[in-house]
Amino acid sequence: MLKRYTLLFSFFLSLVACNNKKPLFESLSPSETGISFQNSLTESDDFNILDYLYFYNGGGVAIGDINNDGLPDIYFSGNQVKNKLYLNKGGLTFEDITEKAGVSGNSNWNTGAVMGDVNGDGFLDIYVCAVVGIRGLTGYNELFINNGDNTFTENAAKYGLDHETFSSSAAFLDYDLDGDLDIFLLNHAIHTQESFGHANLRHKRSIETGDKLMRNDGEFFTDISEEAGIYGGINGYGLGVAISDFNQDGFPDIYVGNDFHEDDYYYVNNGNGTFTESLKKYFGHTSRFSMGNDVADLNHDGMPDIISLDMLPEDEKILKSSDGDEEVNIMELRTSQYGYHYQFSRNTLQINQGTSMFAETALMSGIAATDWSWSSLFADFDQDGEQDLFISNGIPKRPNDLDFIKFVSNEQIKEKIDATKLVDQQALDLMPSGAVRNYLFKGTGNLTFENKSDDWIPNESLFSAATAMGDLDNDGDLDLVINNINGLASLYINQINEKASYLKLKFDYRSPNTKGVGTKVFSYHNGKLQYKELFTVRGFQSSSEPTIHFGYEDAEKVDSIRIIWPDNTTQTLKDISVNQVLTISPTKVNTFDYKQLTNVKGKLFELLENNMGIDFIHIEDKYIDFDRQRLMPYQVSDRGPATAIGDINNDGKTDIFFGGSKFIPSQIYVQIDSSFEKIHIQEIENDSIKEDVTVIIQDLNNDDKNDILVGSGGADFYNQMKPLLDSYYLQSDSSFVNESFPEYFENASVIKMADYDNDGDLDAFIGNLSVSNDYGNIPNSYLLNNENGEFSIVENIELQKSGMITDAVWSDYNNDGEIDLIVVGEWMSPKFFKNQEGELIEDKLLNGGMNGLWQSIAPFDIDKDGDIDYVLGNWGLNSKFNASEKYPMKMYYHDFDNNGSTETILAIEKNGKYYTLEGLDELSGQLVTLRKKFTRYKDFAGKTVEEIFDGNTLKSSEILEVSNLKSGYLKNDNGNFYFHCFPSELQIAPIMALLIHDFDKDGKDDLLAGGNYFGVKPFHGRFDAFSGALIKNETDIKSGYKIGLDFTNKSVRDMNIISINNSEYLLVTINNAKAQLYKLIK
Amino acid sequence: MIRNLQNSLLIVLVLSSCTEKKTHADIEPVILHNTMQRLTDIIVHDIFSPPVASRVYAYPSIAAYEVMAQTDSTYVSLSGQLKEFNGIPHPTTNKIDFELSAIIAFINVGKALIFSEEKFEEYEIDFISQVKENGLDETILNNSIAYAKIVSDTILNWSKKDNYNETRTYQKFTVKDETDRWQPTPPGYFEAIEPHWGKIRTFVIDSADQFTPERPTKFDMNENSDFHKEVMDVYNAGNNLDNVQSEIARFWDCNPFVINVKGHAMFATKKITPGGHWINIAKIACEKDSADIIKSTATYALTSIALADAFISCWDEKYRSNLIRPETVINQYIDADWLPLLQTPPFPEYTSGHSVISGAAGVALTSIYGDPFPFVDDSELVYGLPIRKYNSFTAASDEAAISRFYGGIHYMPAIENGITQGRDLGSFLIGKIKMKVDQ
Repeated sequence: MLKRYTLLFSFFLSLVACNNKKPLFESLSPSETGISFQNSLTESDDFNILDYLYFYNGGGVAIGDINNDGLPDIYFSGNQVKNKLYLNKGGLTFEDITEKAGVSGNSNWNTGAVMGDVNGDGFLDIYVCAVVGIRGLTGYNELFINNGDNTFTENAAKYGLDHETFSSSAAFLDYDLDGDLDIFLLNHAIHTQESFGHANLRHKRSIETGDKLMRNDGEFFTDISEEAGIYGGINGYGLGVAISDFNQDGFPDIYVGNDFHEDDYYYVNNGNGTFTESLKKYFGHTSRFSMGNDVADLNHDGMPDIISLDMLPEDEKILKSSDGDEEVNIMELRTSQYGYHYQFSRNTLQINQGTSMFAETALMSGIAATDWSWSSLFADFDQDGEQDLFISNGIPKRPNDLDFIKFVSNEQIKEKIDATKLVDQQALDLMPSGAVRNYLFKGTGNLTFENKSDDWIPNESLFSAATAMGDLDNDGDLDLVINNINGLASLYINQINEKASYLKLKFDYRSPNTKGVGTKVFSYHNGKLQYKELFTVRGFQSSSEPTIHFGYEDAEKVDSIRIIWPDNTTQTLKDISVNQVLTISPTKVNTFDYKQLTNVKGKLFELLENNMGIDFIHIEDKYIDFDRQRLMPYQVSDRGPATAIGDINNDGKTDIFFGGSKFIPSQIYVQIDSSFEKIHIQEIENDSIKEDVTVIIQDLNNDDKNDILVGSGGADFYNQMKPLLDSYYLQSDSSFVNESFPEYFENASVIKMADYDNDGDLDAFIGNLSVSNDYGNIPNSYLLNNENGEFSIVENIELQKSGMITDAVWSDYNNDGEIDLIVVGEWMSPKFFKNQEGELIEDKLLNGGMNGLWQSIAPFDIDKDGDIDYVLGNWGLNSKFNASEKYPMKMYYHDFDNNGSTETILAIEKNGKYYTLEGLDELSGQLVTLRKKFTRYKDFAGKTVEEIFDGNTLKSSEILEVSNLKSGYLKNDNGNFYFHCFPSELQIAPIMALLIHDFDKDGKDDLLAGGNYFGVKPFHGRFDAFSGALIKNETDIKSGYKIGLDFTNKSVRDMNIISINNSEYLLVTINNAKAQLYKLIK
Repeated sequence: MIRNLQNSLLIVLVLSSCTEKKTHADIEPVILHNTMQRLTDIIVHDIFSPPVASRVYAYPSIAAYEVMAQTDSTYVSLSGQLKEFNGIPHPTTNKIDFELSAIIAFINVGKALIFSEEKFEEYEIDFISQVKENGLDETILNNSIAYAKIVSDTILNWSKKDNYNETRTYQKFTVKDETDRWQPTPPGYFEAIEPHWGKIRTFVIDSADQFTPERPTKFDMNENSDFHKEVMDVYNAGNNLDNVQSEIARFWDCNPFVINVKGHAMFATKKITPGGHWINIAKIACEKDSADIIKSTATYALTSIALADAFISCWDEKYRSNLIRPETVINQYIDADWLPLLQTPPFPEYTSGHSVISGAAGVALTSIYGDPFPFVDDSELVYGLPIRKYNSFTAASDEAAISRFYGGIHYMPAIENGITQGRDLGSFLIGKIKMKVDQ
């Protein structure tokens, strides 16, 4: 084992050490392989990308052993050129047997090509899709039935599969578990994209464009789309299809990726022959221009995860000269009025959370931007036990080039506007080429990937689309075959060979599903689970070899393998030697019980449906910060609502105060018996104009009755507008009375009370977040001294200007018996203020590199060593922000256009240089003069922030910085604090709320974290993936979806424990949603 | 364009074949028209929205006129007649060519207001070198250029206080879920442009809301409501257009940025703005009248001022009523697939911009050239559209207004009340400012 490891290590070392790196994949030439297929496109005046929107989508490729000689063969479909079948002769040489086999095809626009044993005779048949009826294209989807002697007979009509539609691809699945292969036919719309149309267009079936589910009835496939609940509208731009039993209930489900504004479809198999499309229920957002996709279990939990590709460029020059994301108002229109879901122009990686929603992590995972991407394939290419990811790329013409759209096209064509053909050809010639390299990412096992494209695959600029996998040389690893547009097909041969362990499984299943499509395999070695399903149609317009492949790094044997057959019977193999091919058929099977996979054990929380009368729904007002300050990095107007618990009516029971957003009164719920009832306090409701962001309920004038202090904000009111004043309500005999309070006009974020001067009353720290209409300016935060219930500002300039405060905590961090103050906020480091005999003095305890977008802080002994550590919620890593100590994210704050109002410009580092986050349209939307400086997008694209703005402007700007976006904790080491970051599961979204409590009743305090945040532009997306987490200690962290919390896709702002009839409940306040109440069930 | 310039310079060249240094550049009106055309081309290239384009036309035109007004005692400076405008300094030397200064001042001001400066620079370099080749005395050339600089600086300083710069960062139009409120329209779904244009300093009219039109018909989609009827009128008209109506609609489309979408592929069809069309009609009038250069600058100045104030007045109303476009209403209530003949421009419906500004420009041009004034409008030839003939500016503005109804982008009240708004504004404007002594 050690030897093998050394060998492997030295192999990788050699990869790194020498200049002429030997890539993991080697490309073979046609002279070596005999494969000379080339998908050449011939554009004409009548037929080009302006006539047919998917002119550049490419053909298909299928890998499978058509003659059962143990060597996988390759079939290519060409759009306009003839299809080719290459027989594998061994030794990586192939013979073109197309003519003899009779599979060259008759349609004049072929798309996807897939292999499957349609008639169950043990020989793989080939199904080739076609586009028919556009601009005179003729033909039909062809089914080449394998005669078993290297010849085929086209027989689509007989099987009812000779569709004359706009097909992209087709996938095999046995959806009704009747033992044969059914077909999901993916069609695409060509609906001119004049207007979105309402989402319900998908309910009206269209023959040409609607997807179809074809049930195998033996000799004939029956279209059962409608009765099965499959959408078939003119809006379905279907480009990607994935089959997987996503919810592990024994029935395969279907995911369809749709281009443009149409939502992707997530068809959950009901197990009774029908499906329920459930995208919005399970996905917080998806890719916008969805292309290919693929499924694999990335995080070893036995649940399939899915990636969907889009076209976000990585390269600055391409990124900034391409049409980008939607504008906030348009997204709002598309989602709320037209009924579509949230979609963002980038790859999305959706991590399966069982019965909860999927968690999307592509930005954090490092795979969101791979340019014009077509096919994604997960596989363990380096056989280290982690799934790697191949992505094919490129388009001959970039039609979304902004110079082309706005400047080039018009000037060249305006005089010939009626001469359509001339327009088309000239327009085409002016679109820039999108020849780019393919990507290969190495999986690391913690939901992140390492970009190995430079080291692992040849650096070729191609137009690569359909890609399939198979072990072409039977050396146990997975090779890649790529169908390129206007170029020879690529064969990438994997060179890992046996330098790392593998296992390859083939299935000999009962006819007609002879290859065992739908078989699941759970592999266990060294305590690690790997899970795979056999669905051959993967990536984009292609099918891969019907085998299952695992990598095991240096392991010599696999502890066990559990196989679940398509009929949901199961068998287990034990102690299997690695590096072999197993052909398995069902033996000694018994029925598999899926409940063991999906039953959540260890639940700590049970969501209550009735909420015990707490029917509070927070409604965020519709104010959009970006409408006023376009270049703000995110919103600050949506940080509420305030929540506080305490006894408001002096009956000894805990009541609740919920703040309202602008123009909505706050709401008070009092506890009666075993439920809550809303009461109205006029004095407080009179202040409904204010947005209540933070509140405390405590006795502030020592009369044994609780009083209420509300911090107002919302960032809409500005200057000295009265609604910015905080509110102080003293409880008198029977009601609350508005009491005078220091007048300052700030956007509050946090109020924390403590008797810091030891005079027996509670003093206040009021933290403020931002200055309205002047984001980037530092607001004033205040320490207020309480004298007999009257508050006055304590002069403390350090604290007053400590930053854009989000949270604070009074805590004796230095253990001197005096309570100290720690504040956190955005664009700043956590700041410690030492209480020195009633004076708060900043204590510069922390080293550099701690400027963050901190959202929350809680004192918590996370290492259980008896002293207090501080857990810090930050922005997380799942956004387009990027920051490190060496390369902090920078925000320039200045009146750039000298018109009396300030702007902020954000810049992040890429390859050692700083670029603005925003593109020219966004920047010049606020700073018109940039249009004078950059009259073309290509002049702007690739320019650093220093090149965009002149040096003096930048010099006169204030620069705010963030060097750390990770959530984590300050570990107390004898009074010194060192930052440790949390694992990636906790970096998936901003952590906005923290609560300490012994949730699992083990006698030790735990820390519960909640978060998510949506106040960002579509450029970032929505940070909706955090399901919450229970942090027991440094290593024991449980995701919320595993303990009964329903936090995914909800922006959690506050959590409180409430005692009701001696039972404990968790009250969760959520921005713009209904409050949740959970019973603690331990 | 370049070719036009060269042709015209050739004329100048022929006229001045002697080698002695000349004291006059002998600039003909065609040079002014060509320079204006250059400005139009750059406005089209840079994609200025109609209201912003009207501002870009106004200041250079005023600069040129102010230079020329000094040369003829029958003309009156606009100093004190336009808001916060105190005129330009007189030259300190008589060794100067006013026509030359006027053209260069026009270019200088224009260049400051557009984006693609290099396109004007190219033109300017060509122009000056032709003037040099033509044998103009170098001192006079230099003095004229220096004076033009003083003029353009004065005009630009004045322009800077018109609130344009400040409004760049005012709040965007917020899309709200209100049934009668404007929302972005297909296929571009662009945000509402210039929601604060009503806050731009007017040139002549007292305030942006001086000519507030009647309230638009109340939104009400009950079958018997007036609004419903107006919607159905647009819908039915759009479905039953005859060839003449279609031609009229296309002729006056004047949309500076029509986006064509074919899948992922998009390209823009760009044209002159409504204001640009009327600037070209002003040129046609000048040429037909064989107007000299001073009359031509006066024509451009008055027309562009009328256009600019009309846009301010119209935009003030657009973002007062924020009315939803016919396309949105028809798609939501009547026919999901209906498309107007013209692409709906990205701002609220009421009143029709083309109606208001055509009304105003028509009155302005009539005040100079009278009624009837038959002319052939070939402004759209370059965009592949045929010529159209009119008997008067009033007739042309009537047709421009109704074209928006045929185009399916306006209800009838926006057209009828719009043209009234524009004509009232135009009448006020020509009554208020005086450019000729005998007026």
